[in-house]
Amino acid sequence: MHWLGAAQRGSPALIRFIVWVALRVSRTVARALLYPIVTYFVIFSVRPRRASRAYLARVLGRTPSIRDVFRHYHTFAAALLDRVYFLTGRHRDMTLSIHGNEPVLALVRRGRGVVLLGSHLGSFEALRAAGASEPDLDISMLMDNANAQKMMRILTPLDPALADSIISLGAPDSLLRAKARIDAGGLVGLLGDRLRPGDRAVPCPFLGATMWFPAAPFVFAALVGAPVVLCYGLYRGDRRYDLHFELLRERIELPRAGRDEAIAALAREYAARLEHHARAAPYNWFNFYDTWAEPARGEAR
Amino acid sequence: MTAKTPFEVELSGLMVEVLNLEIAPEEIAPEAPLYGEGLGLDSIDMLEISLAIGKRYGVDLRADDEDSRMVFASLRSLARHVDEHRPK
Repeated sequence: MHWLGAAQRGSPALIRFIVWVALRVSRTVARALLYPIVTYFVIFSVRPRRASRAYLARVLGRTPSIRDVFRHYHTFAAALLDRVYFLTGRHRDMTLSIHGNEPVLALVRRGRGVVLLGSHLGSFEALRAAGASEPDLDISMLMDNANAQKMMRILTPLDPALADSIISLGAPDSLLRAKARIDAGGLVGLLGDRLRPGDRAVPCPFLGATMWFPAAPFVFAALVGAPVVLCYGLYRGDRRYDLHFELLRERIELPRAGRDEAIAALAREYAARLEHHARAAPYNWFNFYDTWAEPARGEAR
Repeated sequence: MTAKTPFEVELSGLMVEVLNLEIAPEEIAPEAPLYGEGLGLDSIDMLEISLAIGKRYGVDLRADDEDSRMVFASLRSLARHVDEHRPK
């Protein structure tokens, strides 16, 4: 979310103002404010706009118009605004249509911890909000250090318990923390569509070209012996979200011989399901950089 | 830098084997950082080595220990922790 980061650095006052309007005035007024803001970013954010066009051309199969780009930015901004409501638990007015969650709940009721493997397609916050309405679900979220710090700064004053559910990836014992949550029957969410520096990368076909996905989510799930459930919190406009859960594997086995092939097969399956949902909800792609760029040598192992 | 203890030698052998490292066990310096800079292990590697240590030595490395980051600092600190906690 480089451009958002830039916006925050440029004008934290603007962000604070929007959040204030969202919580104190109304969602309708806050959403009206998104139009000038999105217009500003569509005009002035050059690289994200280029990335948006390149993605839209692939997913729509045609040359995107400026309206498509505006809609892409606007969908992102609207979902981002709604995070304020999801995070503060003020989402009773939202319509969350949930598909396929029964197998997940069945696993959790049997005491099994679950890896929730999401992506930047749609809003993970909507998924978490749906989980929060189920009693006794313990959902944590693994995220890279910078995002974790940012989230904790926002969440701690709102709800210290929620801040405690963020696990930063920046420490040697990060995944041991995540494993402890899984062992206790919790759900641990992570996003599987972005490479972090040093990640082992797997090339997969995605929307007609090769994109590199991290191997780490599958290795993690194999090591902790947890089922992997793919999940998507797709924003459908107005107050509607479609939440999809799909069981990828009840248990991942990585044999010593053929381990790389097994990981590659899982990553390709992940990429194929992501492509399916991206085609169904194209404007929900919340990556505004060149996701198809090949990882720099030495970065990927 | 001091020489490795016999247990540190044993543990570096386990690390190379479990993580398929492309270096010889002797090349792991006892006081160099394991994570990030240094040996260049990531969080997945640390999890994998913790599980292997649990299996072989019966020492459950837990993240809720206040000092778990200290334990994972180097081969030396890890070896000391495992040696102190394994059933004798």
